[in-house]
Amino acid sequence: MSVREWFALIAFASSVLFGSAGLVGMFRFPDPYSRMQAGGLCGTTAVFSAFIGALILAPNAAIAARVVVIMVFFLVSAPTGSYIVARFTWQSGTPVWKPLAKTKRLSRKKEPT
Amino acid sequence: MRAEKKWGFIRFMLTTLFLYALWLLFTASIEPYSLIFGAVGSLLIAALTYNIFIARHQANLRYIIPNPFHLVLYIVILVFFLYQSSIHMVRAVFTGKASPRIVHFRTRLKSDIARMVLANSITITPGTITLDLNDDHLTVHWFFCDTSHAKLAGEKVKGRMERFIGNIWS
Repeated sequence: MSVREWFALIAFASSVLFGSAGLVGMFRFPDPYSRMQAGGLCGTTAVFSAFIGALILAPNAAIAARVVVIMVFFLVSAPTGSYIVARFTWQSGTPVWKPLAKTKRLSRKKEPT
Repeated sequence: MRAEKKWGFIRFMLTTLFLYALWLLFTASIEPYSLIFGAVGSLLIAALTYNIFIARHQANLRYIIPNPFHLVLYIVILVFFLYQSSIHMVRAVFTGKASPRIVHFRTRLKSDIARMVLANSITITPGTITLDLNDDHLTVHWFFCDTSHAKLAGEKVKGRMERFIGNIWS
């Protein structure tokens, strides 16, 4: 394997890492906003890391330029998607999850709602 | 009426140029068939959508055309912010430590595009999601909240980014 492929491998590995962390967060947090924080943010970073890997492996400058344009469009579209979901959640009046004041942590026990 | 028409024409031409530049970048060929087809396509799409792409009331070219140097710089900084905030988020997922709260604040940016970019940047930077953008009033869900003071919260969430975006669409 060349140096380039090693760097691409690091990018793809971090993509997998962020993606699975986002998935865990999506199931772990109790309310829609926090789930969106974890899922949306880590999902964006996962796809972005995959694009960086593709950019490193690009065979010539023309394809690299296209990948860069796709990355910029993705930076615009991914937050817009989570913004739309968040906006409708907010307008339907969903309350925000408040962790227990003492620990400020996600508790193991079921919290009273 | 005359100024209105002129402004409409400028918006139409800007939209066409933007679409045609993207077409050239994506096809990357200089055959006459591809060039003509792209030109006709971008004219058609621009005629249909220029009113949405650049709103009528944004009557100032500096609100629409970005400063290219600052734009590229900002995208690089944004990627750095994206990774930093993801690492924060991964840590929060595994420790379960958080203090979510809704904060409200105002922005001083004037142009619609700059406000949209600010809202999107807030969504991808450390633990914040924009819930609502109403003229210059932002409602933000902040995941690692440590203050309830509106001005301080605004400065902490958007301070750095607002300064950069103010340079792009000044």
